[in-house]
Amino acid sequence: MKSLIKEFSKGITVLNPTFGLILGLCPTLAISTSLFNAIGMGVAATFVLVFSNLIISALRNFIPARIRLPSYIVIIATFVTICELGLKAYLPGLSKSLGIFIPLIVVNCIIMARAEAFASSNRILPSIFDGLGMGIGFTLGISIIAFIRELLGSGSIAGIGLLKSNEFILVMILSPGALLTMGLLIALSRLLGLTKR
Amino acid sequence: MKETLRFGFILGIICIVAAGLLAGVDILTKPKILAQEKLEEELSLRAIFPSAHHFDEVRDGEKVIYYKIFSSDGKFIGVAFNTSGKGYAGEIKTLVGMLSDGKITAIKVTSQSETPGLGSRIAETNFTERFQGKSDLSGVEAITGATISSRAVIDSVKKKAEEIRLRVENDR
Repeated sequence: MKSLIKEFSKGITVLNPTFGLILGLCPTLAISTSLFNAIGMGVAATFVLVFSNLIISALRNFIPARIRLPSYIVIIATFVTICELGLKAYLPGLSKSLGIFIPLIVVNCIIMARAEAFASSNRILPSIFDGLGMGIGFTLGISIIAFIRELLGSGSIAGIGLLKSNEFILVMILSPGALLTMGLLIALSRLLGLTKR
Repeated sequence: MKETLRFGFILGIICIVAAGLLAGVDILTKPKILAQEKLEEELSLRAIFPSAHHFDEVRDGEKVIYYKIFSSDGKFIGVAFNTSGKGYAGEIKTLVGMLSDGKITAIKVTSQSETPGLGSRIAETNFTERFQGKSDLSGVEAITGATISSRAVIDSVKKKAEEIRLRVENDR
């Protein structure tokens, strides 16, 4: 039980995908313009992570090492497509604002990295906890960045306007804002010892 | 040789299971997705044509060319059509409502990926209401700082409006 908690919590703290491992930056930079999108993206990626870890761990003795990468990609792509169709059918608004970044979860390196580094050599239960922790860590990371960018860049939180139009900094919503916010947050998390170098 | 066959077989099994799973999910979600698209289309049409009572799709094969709009007493009052143009960051799709005399009733940007806060302002009413009641679109002003995005919308609406005008004349 103790080791399960460890597998779960490492993704949120020391090995946080956004601030510790610094993986999956493409969606992090692109989607963190609003808190709502960030949470949607995080939940979608968590869903894919948990299920791909589960299946890859279950099949770890069935898949030969030499064809593991194509197998992982097929498995990950399957869950991403399920997720995409589900969003389109039940949450069309979110599906529209996340757009191309939902299918691009396939190439999110966090998912591939966890499949390769963890699920392929661990039992099912720890793999699920690893996926869940990493997914929540990713959601948290992207949400913190989005919270700061949305507040400073468009003066609102989760779409609720707070500031007047002359009180916010447009550049925060553009790509430089994403890089600045992320860089400062990574520096801060290392300074506080939350993540490892 | 034997290895290769075994690998191909295993990968094949994984792919078949994945394909089966996806086919199942597709069957489950397809009616829902189609219904959502239909609903969204209807809402968009109502937004640009508040006086509309019902619509008729005019098709060329599979594609919807334009919609005929009728008032509650069954009179033909105008048309609505989709158009798209290349903006600063990608395609901008717009739904346009046009009265039978060629005047634009309203436009609605249905999909765009322009820079947030700059080009994305083309979707705001402040810009879209500039089209209202105009039949000559050369008078529509672009948004300061978002000229490329604005021009993409103006030009695509203008071009398609002329095409549709001719088509409607012919179809009569």
